[in-house]
Amino acid sequence: MKRVMGLALVLSLLGVGSARAADTIKIGLMAPMTGSWASEGEEMKKNVELLASELNAKGGLLGKQVEVITEDDGGDPRTASLAAQRLTTKGVVAVIGTYGSAVTEASQNIFDEEGIIQIANGSTAVRLTEKGLKYFFRTCPRDDEQGKVGAATLEKMKVKKVALLHDNSAYARGLADEIRSHLKAKKLDIVFFDALTPKEQDYSAILTKLKASGPDVVFFTGYYPEAGLLLKQKKQMGWNVPFVGGDAINNPDLVKIAGKDAAEGFQFLSPPVPRDLDTPEAKAYLASYTKKNGETPGSIYGLLAGDGFRVVAKAIEATKSTDADKLREYLTTGLKDFPGFTGKIAFNVKGDRIGELYRVYKVDKTGGFVLQK
Amino acid sequence: MEQFFQQLTNGLAVGGIYALIALGYTMVYGVLKLINFAHGDLFTYGAYLGMTLLTSLFLQDRLGAVAGFLVLAVMVMGLVALFGVILERAVYRPVRESHRLAAVVSALGASIFLQNTLMLIYGARFQVYPDDVLPRVAVNVLGLEIPLMRIVVVLASVVMMAVLYFFVQKTTIGTAIRATAIDQGAARLMGIDVNRVIRLVFLIGPALGGAAGLLVGLYYGQVNFTMGWLYGMKAFTAAILGGIGNIPGAMVGGLLLGVIEALGAAYLSTAWKDAISFIVLILILIVRPTGLLGERVADKV
Repeated sequence: MKRVMGLALVLSLLGVGSARAADTIKIGLMAPMTGSWASEGEEMKKNVELLASELNAKGGLLGKQVEVITEDDGGDPRTASLAAQRLTTKGVVAVIGTYGSAVTEASQNIFDEEGIIQIANGSTAVRLTEKGLKYFFRTCPRDDEQGKVGAATLEKMKVKKVALLHDNSAYARGLADEIRSHLKAKKLDIVFFDALTPKEQDYSAILTKLKASGPDVVFFTGYYPEAGLLLKQKKQMGWNVPFVGGDAINNPDLVKIAGKDAAEGFQFLSPPVPRDLDTPEAKAYLASYTKKNGETPGSIYGLLAGDGFRVVAKAIEATKSTDADKLREYLTTGLKDFPGFTGKIAFNVKGDRIGELYRVYKVDKTGGFVLQK
Repeated sequence: MEQFFQQLTNGLAVGGIYALIALGYTMVYGVLKLINFAHGDLFTYGAYLGMTLLTSLFLQDRLGAVAGFLVLAVMVMGLVALFGVILERAVYRPVRESHRLAAVVSALGASIFLQNTLMLIYGARFQVYPDDVLPRVAVNVLGLEIPLMRIVVVLASVVMMAVLYFFVQKTTIGTAIRATAIDQGAARLMGIDVNRVIRLVFLIGPALGGAAGLLVGLYYGQVNFTMGWLYGMKAFTAAILGGIGNIPGAMVGGLLLGVIEALGAAYLSTAWKDAISFIVLILILIVRPTGLLGERVADKV
């Protein structure tokens, strides 16, 4: 009798499970909810969940509600591959994320083999879209774009000797290599090219070495926690060389870590920060985000994750299907000039976003990020 | 040459922190033959407690800068020491008689627990110390610009290490600690309350770790809940380098590791800095498997 009851229970659970699976369209979100980039992950989640609830309030997709399933990648490739495997077993149609390039790279093949569309929001390493993966897209630009803009910015500063500092991550190294090749073509002198170890707190040894190499400008291609400490310790050393950084430094925590006086004058490349977005869609969305969360989104990558979600939703709606091949077909050929929050969105056949996005920002006296025209 | 001395001071500042944390590892190992993997997290607790007390009590405004920071340091060290004692009672004592692996797993579990508790309380973002509490003064020593805070860091760690050394070498309680380290059974037969000694070790080690956390917070200004892992690893390495179980060894190991890192970064490659320090560690262990000062087995604590 017990066995029969057990069997009945199992069957009923299975029944419920499959009924629920048919009820919703599941979209995965792979984001760094813990680890050094947890603040990015938090915003990615807030954006995607807000968009999903807005979409559901309007009736969802294809008559079904949309369910967002979040998995934590910890900002770490090993954790990411486990997170990706968990997502594939949960029947997601598409996955939004993730932030770091190395982290995305660890998950790419897992999603591709399962035929799941992945739209990364912050992974800018060039090779991610050079592997011929069919279902991989990204809403952020690639490092070679940024490398071009970075080299042009340095050239505009009329400097002769440039120091390049990265952190050996796939992203930072890629960007540093890219800038180096552009600068070499322009015959600028590269006096320093090396990496620091991320997550440390004392960078005085590296700064002392950098100073000894006598650069006119230092370009740091890594992330904001290290950039903040570098700026702070550079100031403590009494060294006044201009620092320039890449788009991973675009986070308000930079000024918190460095302190206002140390961060002043620092320049970085970035897609526009959320409050500089001026399309009507973006303005309306920023208002509703602020209403829901009590603060404006601080990071552009959260909004790029949101754009990823909206592009997927648009594709599902337009193709009336959740089939990955049809979605891919639509995203690469059908989608043109989609009004994203971060500008017009379209994808080329590799899955890269078409169009230029980078701007130059400068930190002012009050610690604000000011768009340089 | 100027760069050499600048790098030397860079290395000594980091090394002083490593040494303070390494003392906690080495004391616990000396007495219990146990690696306290949660020690790095106690260090993090020191940094967070310091930040919380600093921003809520404003001691430096009420008592003046020097007295305020001394009281703050005592409070942080006391609280982290309390955590250390609770940790010993809750996590290590129940498994002390079991297999050694049980204690290791228990320690790792405690580490994960402490780290995640901190994340849930303070959130996953970086936290920062208020940046206007400390004077940003640089002192000119023999032509080198050295931030005052760095000198404070090195001095504070050296003073604490010296006090600890004399405490262990010259007092009766220190003798009891050394006796327990050599042979727990015999120490018990001599009338030493071994449990009390172990509690004391879990009071002193975490207190020093907490002080290191406070110094790091004050000097670098930025703390996050995972920072204990890296510092813990480095300090553990320093303890091994100097000869684990040996107090002067931990001090020498810590300072040496800091200096090797700084000089390795300066003259070889910054990217290979950690690899260089571990190669040095391996070489030293090949020549002296017990670490630099590890041979004085009778002295170890």
